[in-house]
Amino acid sequence: MIREILSTYRPLYATVLVYMLQNTEYQTRPYIAWLHRTKDFSTVIKRRTLDETKVATMLLMYVKLGMLLQITFSVALIYLGITGSLVGGVAYGITLLISYPFVWAYALVLPLVAGRIFIIGPRNRKAIEESRAIFAAHPGLRIAVAGSYGKTSMKELLLTVLSEGRSVAATPANRNVSSSHAYFARKLTGNEDILIIEYGEGAPGDVARMAQITQPTHAVITGLAPAHLDHYKTLEAAGEDIFSVASAVPSGQAYVYGDSPANKPFIKKGYKTYDTDGALGWKVSKVSVKLEGVSFTLTKGKQSLALKSGLVGRHQVGFLAFVAAFALELGLTKAQVTAGLAKTQPFEHRMQPYQLNGAHVIDDTYNGNLEGIRAGTALLHDLKASRKIYVTPGLVDQGNQKEPVHIEVGKLIAAAKPDVVVLMQNSVAGFIQNGLEQGGFKGELRIEENPLEFYTNLSHIVAHGDLVVMQNDWTDNYA
Amino acid sequence: MNGMETIAVIFGGRSAEHDVSVITALASIIKPLELTKKYKVEAVYIAKDGTWFWDDRLKDIKLFTSGAIQDFIHKTAPASVQFDGGMTLIKASGIAGRKQHRKINVVFPAMHGTYGEDGALMGLLDMAGVAYVGCDVAASAIAMDKTLAKQVALANNVPVSKFLTFTKAELEREPGTALKDIAAVLKFPLFVKPAHLGSSIGISRATTKTELRNALEVAAHYDNKIIVEEAVGNLIEVTLPIIGNDRPQPALLEQPMTHAEDFFDFETKYMQGGKKGKGSSAKGAQGYSQIPAKLPKELYARAEQVGLDVYRALGCSGIARVDMLIDSKTSEVFFNEVNPLPGGLYAHNWAKAGVSSVELVSRLVGYAKERHTARQALNTSFSTNYLQQF
Repeated sequence: MIREILSTYRPLYATVLVYMLQNTEYQTRPYIAWLHRTKDFSTVIKRRTLDETKVATMLLMYVKLGMLLQITFSVALIYLGITGSLVGGVAYGITLLISYPFVWAYALVLPLVAGRIFIIGPRNRKAIEESRAIFAAHPGLRIAVAGSYGKTSMKELLLTVLSEGRSVAATPANRNVSSSHAYFARKLTGNEDILIIEYGEGAPGDVARMAQITQPTHAVITGLAPAHLDHYKTLEAAGEDIFSVASAVPSGQAYVYGDSPANKPFIKKGYKTYDTDGALGWKVSKVSVKLEGVSFTLTKGKQSLALKSGLVGRHQVGFLAFVAAFALELGLTKAQVTAGLAKTQPFEHRMQPYQLNGAHVIDDTYNGNLEGIRAGTALLHDLKASRKIYVTPGLVDQGNQKEPVHIEVGKLIAAAKPDVVVLMQNSVAGFIQNGLEQGGFKGELRIEENPLEFYTNLSHIVAHGDLVVMQNDWTDNYA
Repeated sequence: MNGMETIAVIFGGRSAEHDVSVITALASIIKPLELTKKYKVEAVYIAKDGTWFWDDRLKDIKLFTSGAIQDFIHKTAPASVQFDGGMTLIKASGIAGRKQHRKINVVFPAMHGTYGEDGALMGLLDMAGVAYVGCDVAASAIAMDKTLAKQVALANNVPVSKFLTFTKAELEREPGTALKDIAAVLKFPLFVKPAHLGSSIGISRATTKTELRNALEVAAHYDNKIIVEEAVGNLIEVTLPIIGNDRPQPALLEQPMTHAEDFFDFETKYMQGGKKGKGSSAKGAQGYSQIPAKLPKELYARAEQVGLDVYRALGCSGIARVDMLIDSKTSEVFFNEVNPLPGGLYAHNWAKAGVSSVELVSRLVGYAKERHTARQALNTSFSTNYLQQF
C-alpha cells in the first residue's frame, strides 16, 4: 500500500501518465479506466518506453510544469502559514502538496479534451462533410471493406492484385475511421479507377455512417467475430452494423465471407458468398499449405488458373480466391491476376513467418479475435514440426463474453495438440487454462509473468525443428 | 521463488580466458537458466586477481562491456564461501553488519582455462560435496592438458597426429636440443601450442625454423608445458559438442570454414566473428561454420564415433567438445583436443541439433545431479584397525 502510494511521487510519475495516455491513443475514457485500475505506477511501463513525439513531449512539459507550479504554490502556502501571514496556510499547503499526483493525473487530459472540442472535432467534421462530396463525385468504383477481422488483409490483397491492371487507391494502413477516410479523400486525384475503403467498426452505427459518407458501389464483408463488445455488447449488434454496408450497395455487389459462421444469419438474397471452396462461380482445388505460402487452383468450366501466394495458412484461400475471381470479373487478365497473387506477402505481425535459431515462428500478434485463433491453431495442427509451441496472452475487448470466449480459445489450442503452450499471467489465463483442460491438453503449460522478457528471449527457448505460433499481443493498458 | 533450487554460476577467474568466460556465463548460461523458471540463479564472479563476488548486478553484461566492473570491484565487498555439508555463499548484507547467506544446490562452472576448466574448481566443489555441471576433476585435468589427452586417446586406439612435448624449463635451458628433436621427428608445417590453454591463445603455426623458434617462445610465455604437433595435410577441421554422462549424446559435427593454412587464433575466433581477413560478423566463430559439416556419410559417422570414443576414454561427463582433424585425401580422422567447457556451451550448434538453450542448460543440470547422486551412493569410508596399531 505504502509502495503504491509512493509510486505516484516518483520522478518518473509524469512520464508514466503521458505513457498511459499515449498507449491508449490519447483516448480519454480508456486512459481514465487504466488510471483507476492501476495501483502501483512504478510497474506500468513494461513493454515499451514513451515514444517522444511532439504531442507527448508537449504533454509531458505541461504536466511537469503544472506539478512544479502546484508544489511551489503549496510550499508558499505552508511558509505563509508558518510565518502567521495566512490562517490555515499550512493545512491548505500540505493538502495541495499531497494531492498534486492525483490532480495532474486528471488535469493531463484537459488539453486533449479542449483540443478535441474546439480544434480537432470541428476540423474533422468539416473534412468529413467535404469528403462526402468528393466520394459522390468520384468516377471510380468505391469498394468498402468491412468485418470484425480480416478487413485490413482483404484491403491490401485487393490493392495488390487490382493494381496489376487498374489505377487503385486504398486507405492507408489500418486507418479506417471517418476522419481517416476524409483525409484519404482529400488526396485523391479523381483519375483512380478504383477506391478501396476500409471500415473500422467500434460502436453501433459506425459502419452505417461511413457508408452514407463514402457511398460505396461494392461491399466486401470479411469475418464476423466477438470484438469491440465493450461497445456493441452483443455479436448480433456488431453484425447488424457491419452488414449495413451490404444494404448500401446495388444488388449483387455485396460479397460476404462464407467461412465465418457468424456471418450466416446476416446473409440476404442477392449477396454473393466466397469461401475456401470457391468464389463467384470459380471452384478451389489442389490446396497446398506450406510455411512458404499457399497454392491452389481455380476452375470455372474449362477455365483453370494455378495460383500461388506468400500468405500462410489454409484460411487465406477463401480471401485469395475471392480477390482473384473479383479481379477477373472487373476485367483483369489471368496473367495479371496470377502475377498479382504471387506478389501478396504476409503483412507485418499477421501470420508472418520468420526463422529464429532454426525454428519457424509464425507471428500473428496483430490478430485479436476468435476466428484468428481458429486459423492459427489450425495452422499449428496442419504443419509438421519436431516441437510445436503456441503462445498467446488471450483476446482483449471481449466484454461479458470474456470467459466463454477464452474457454473456447483453450479448447482450440488443445485441439491443435501443441507440445508447449505459453500463456501470459493476466485476467484471462485461468479461462484459457480451463479450456485447455476441457480440451484434454497434455503438453507443458508455461505461464509467463513478464511477456516482454519471454518475447525478447524466445531465441533461448526454441531450436531447429520447432514451430512457434504467436497470436495476439496485449499492450500495457490491458491487465 | 520458494521451493526453487539455487544454482550458482561461477565465471571469470584467474585465466587468460577470463573475458570469454564472462560471455559464456552471461549469454549462454544465466539467462537460459532463469528462463527455465525452475531455479534461482546466483551470479558468482571471480575477478582477475582471484577475488570472489556474488551480486545480481553481475548478471548485466553492460557492467563488463562498459568497464564499470573495475568500479564495482573497488566498491563491493568480496563474497566468501562456506563448506557446511554443501556450499553456502556469504556476503555483507549492508544492513547493520549482518551477513547474507545463500545455500547452493548446484554449481554451474562457466570458467575457461586455468583454475576453472582445468579441474581446480571441480576439486574444490568435490571437497564441498556439491553437485556441479560438466566434467569432473580427472576428466577436466586430462582434457586441459593437450599432451595428456593425446596420450589417453592413443592408449584407447584413437589416432592422433605426431607430436612432441617440452617444458618451459627445457626450452629455456637447451633451446637448440628441442629444435633438433623436433626436426628429427616432425615435419613442417607445425603447430605450437601451450598445453593447458584453450580459446586458441598462444597458438602459432610454423613453417620454418625461425617461425618455430618464435612460436616456442610465444607458447612458453603462456604455459610451462608446450606441445608441438605435425600439421595434418588436406585438412578438414571439425568439432563435435557432446553432452551426457554414461550415454553421451552428440550434437552436430561442425566445420569451421578456414583454409587449410589457417587456424583460429583468439583474434579470429572472438574478435573478427570467425572470419580471417577484414570481414567481420557479430556471430563469433560459430557464425562462420558449417553445421552440419558437409562430409561423406561414412566419414561423418566415423568422425562422430571418434568424438564419442574420446569423450568416453577421457571420462568426460556433463558436457565437452571434441576437436578433430581430417585428412580429406586419406579420410583419416585424428583426435586433436577436448574442450571440457565449450565457449558459449556451443549453444548455436545444439540449437541446430534441435536442443534450445533452455533445454540444454536444463539437461546439464540434470546430468550434474545424476552424477552427484551416484557419487553420494558410493561408500567413502572403510573400517580398519589401522589406527589402533599406534
